[in-house]
Amino acid sequence: MAHLPRGVAQPAELIKRLNGLVFTPEYGVVKWRHTVDDDWSGDPAIFFWITLSDAAADRNVLSRTTRRIKDFIIKQIDPAGEWDLIPYFHFRSQSEQEKLKDKVFG
Amino acid sequence: MAYHDDLLRHAVFLSELDLPEAPKQVDLRRAVSAAYYALFHLLTVEAAQNWRRERQRSRFARMFDHGRMKTCSSKVASRPLPRDPAENAPATLLKLVAESFVNLQHARHTADYDNAYAWSRTDVWDLILDAEDAIKAWMGIRETTMAQDYLIDGRSITIRVVHQILCTLRSVNSSGFIFSCSRRRQSSFT
Repeated sequence: MAHLPRGVAQPAELIKRLNGLVFTPEYGVVKWRHTVDDDWSGDPAIFFWITLSDAAADRNVLSRTTRRIKDFIIKQIDPAGEWDLIPYFHFRSQSEQEKLKDKVFG
Repeated sequence: MAYHDDLLRHAVFLSELDLPEAPKQVDLRRAVSAAYYALFHLLTVEAAQNWRRERQRSRFARMFDHGRMKTCSSKVASRPLPRDPAENAPATLLKLVAESFVNLQHARHTADYDNAYAWSRTDVWDLILDAEDAIKAWMGIRETTMAQDYLIDGRSITIRVVHQILCTLRSVNSSGFIFSCSRRRQSSFT
């Protein structure tokens, strides 16, 4: 029998957990969304679409910014271990999003 | 300079083209691809170092399968870290390598096949940093048993690679060959 990932079988539970994610201002997160879908290999995945403040997306601090956010999400949600979903992260700055207007980033 | 370093520098170069103006999508897409292949080629070259016959190493490195490497990396990335402090540090670095491999491969596929997605420099720089961090992490653990086991995953990559090697080399040399590697790393091939 095919194994249904917990994140797909129990979407309400997953959303409840995700709604509990609160980024304090020092994370530099302006907006974030998630989608659950298969990745290119057909494996179940959760995608995080994160808009950062321009200051947090500055190249000199970007590594620290994104590492902190990824660590925070993985520690709080544990997408792979608890929900059988491979986590993927996409970032952009607020000014980039204003030009690109990509709906997936909200 | 090693090929993976050249690929990373190329990724940075492409991502910076047209600064401070808006980047071209083609440059960002090729930068993502270069960042992924920096890590991919580093790992396959590292695995090939275990092959005793130097002139066959590049052929060996070509036998790695992107999909199987992703499967193996996903398993490592989702594994809980060991509690033993001696194993925890290298396992943390290996997990970083595995997570980056999965993330970069997915990004590479998106960059190459999904023309609807608009890349930003921030997105691409994060991926390049991911590749840089993974390469640094790898350099710190490359000689450990767990890193070597990751290169030649016991259940997925090995069987296929060994089968291909046997077929390839038998067809090259009908008199057969001795399947051998250094004693230190021999367990990786069993």
